[in-house]
Amino acid sequence: MVFISLLGVIFIKTLKFIFTLWVGKALMLFCNIFAKGRGTNMPGAKANLLMPDFIGNFKGIDVDKVIFITGTNGKSTANNMVVHALRSAGKTVCSNLEGANMIGGIATALIRNSTLTGKMKTEYFSFEIDERSMEHIYKHIPARRVCVTNLQKDQVQRNGEPDYIFQKFKRVFNSDMTLFLNNGEPRAKAFEDLTNSVVYYGVGKTKYSFTKDKFYDVTMPCPKCNDKIIFDYYNVDNVGKFHCAGCDFASEEKVDFLAENVEFSDNSSFDCNGYRFTVTNNEPFYIFNYALCIAVCNSLGISNEELQKGFSNFKNIGGRMETLKYKTKTLKYIRIKQENPETLQTALDYIAKDPSEKILLMGLEELKDFDPYYTNTFYAFDVDFESLKKNNIKHYICFSEAVAYDTANRMIYAGIAPEDISILPNDSDEAILKELDKFPIDNVYLITWLKKYNELEVSTKVYGEEK
Amino acid sequence: MANTLNITWLYPDLLNLHGDRGNIMAFEKVGKKMGLDVKINRIDTFSQEIDFDNSDIIFMNVGEIKTVKSVVENIKKYGNAIYDFVEAGKPVIAIGTTGAVLIDKTTRADGSVVEGLGIIHAEAVERKAIYGDDLHICLTEDNSFELMAVQIHLIDFFLKDENDALCKIIYGKGNNDKDTTEGGKYKNAIFTNALGPVFVKNPWYTEKIINEALKAKGLEVAEPIEESFFEIERNSFKTIGAFIKQKTE
Repeated sequence: MVFISLLGVIFIKTLKFIFTLWVGKALMLFCNIFAKGRGTNMPGAKANLLMPDFIGNFKGIDVDKVIFITGTNGKSTANNMVVHALRSAGKTVCSNLEGANMIGGIATALIRNSTLTGKMKTEYFSFEIDERSMEHIYKHIPARRVCVTNLQKDQVQRNGEPDYIFQKFKRVFNSDMTLFLNNGEPRAKAFEDLTNSVVYYGVGKTKYSFTKDKFYDVTMPCPKCNDKIIFDYYNVDNVGKFHCAGCDFASEEKVDFLAENVEFSDNSSFDCNGYRFTVTNNEPFYIFNYALCIAVCNSLGISNEELQKGFSNFKNIGGRMETLKYKTKTLKYIRIKQENPETLQTALDYIAKDPSEKILLMGLEELKDFDPYYTNTFYAFDVDFESLKKNNIKHYICFSEAVAYDTANRMIYAGIAPEDISILPNDSDEAILKELDKFPIDNVYLITWLKKYNELEVSTKVYGEEK
Repeated sequence: MANTLNITWLYPDLLNLHGDRGNIMAFEKVGKKMGLDVKINRIDTFSQEIDFDNSDIIFMNVGEIKTVKSVVENIKKYGNAIYDFVEAGKPVIAIGTTGAVLIDKTTRADGSVVEGLGIIHAEAVERKAIYGDDLHICLTEDNSFELMAVQIHLIDFFLKDENDALCKIIYGKGNNDKDTTEGGKYKNAIFTNALGPVFVKNPWYTEKIINEALKAKGLEVAEPIEESFFEIERNSFKTIGAFIKQKTE
């Protein structure tokens, strides 16, 4: 009797799953026809509403072949790279490459890559995972390979402080998984205590490595003892060779997958475990992603030769740099994530490498992702603007309805002369472009959030064509 | 010869969450404008000595909640020094969650309790949900003295006596969801939820705190800074005020 009841429960659950899956597939079809752009998350999100454990019911998922990539910065790029490398090696991969990294996005990817009965059609699964969603997703899909790129200040209105996410991860990470940890980022590395299976990856000292020794330079508390973390050098902001002033916590001397002897050019190259890789991206932070990709793919049996084949034609999806034409000017747009100092610092460092005359359009803008909207710009004080002073920037234009003055003030604190800054306390594209017209310099950098860029993409065409 | 203002910046690397090194930059900038020789002494590690005798202001920026215990333990190593400092009317400033260092105790989300220094009588409770918003406040002692900031709220503060509030709320959350208090004060020891950095965005308050430090040191307060020095911050205050007004209409 109990057996029959059990069979009944399983049957009903299976029926419910199939029904939910079909709803998801129907919604996906609908999105493909009528609402392109919503099809990366919505079908899965609705399926999860109908059946909260939906993603745990797909058949044919070998958790040994599931990779979760999480962290504050770099997870999209690293995931794109891993998926590209696996596919180049002839493997089939299910992924959320479009960046929908919460449970809805994962469910959508599974719906897309499954049969009508919920059997998966791919061998491998590589997902970018939102930090706050890790616990929920792992409960249903216990991945055996989990990668942490870094854990830094980000979206404080949701995440508060890095330790908030650190504690969430601690509740999930366990000895059943292999952790792939960034050896140069203290919080990521500190997860090493949670499993015996750790793979460290990193980047050796490069020509772009730097030290910080100015009076106002600050680092971070040790994730283990709370004393000061000291960086012997940085490869990118807050990542490098480090040790703690109060305990023996430090980056490893021997790193499992270390990209070293890095030569930066249009075809950058580096050594990793005796193999010289040539790659298509030449920014320092990309090299970390390559090292992680090699570590993960090697662990899955992909050879260095196969990886190199993939790297030679890798193009990142949804990169953070675009170009706009406006009259005779070229606007080089560098996308930042608001409330994320690392992306702002990376943008400024990128501009600092261009020695030619230029104008900087800076729109930090109000925060409008979550209710209530607010005017946070304090992350700009986590960032060093000093490099801009000696960088041939002829004029700065700070715009935004509410925070243009605060943005300009941060620059003034960095020593930029007030007379070199235009402050536009409004968000009008026309006003921004009119101000830009005043300066006979065609090389313009634009730093703002994606929404404002999308608006300016239209406006530069409209106002650029006016006689 | 210029008077010297000695600021002790406690644990800048450990208490480094929301760009608050800007607060120290603001004290340096405003102090210099007031004609002072501003000396800032960083205490970077727990093994480094705090020189209470040669400090006029002690400053602690926002850190992760987990750092509160370590900071309290290290300050307690100096016995009564911090309490004597406060009783002498010298400013001790704690920003954001670091306010938990100055109060009686904080209950964390896991139920553990972190003892504070007990300088300002209040208790705190770690919240389940984080809340971020603008924060428009006025000083309890002078309602016409307004400050603009933002707040990332991870712990609720509950003052034992609401008269100990540093500020009243004009817009925003402040200490908790239950009363309209913001921050806390005992003599010139203060904690505030205001971020921004708050002393960058409100240099008139920076000037006020410096004058309190000068008084405690037995010096005369400085000549008021001319209003034009605050032009960019006053304009910021107005534009953010208008932004808040849109939210409340």
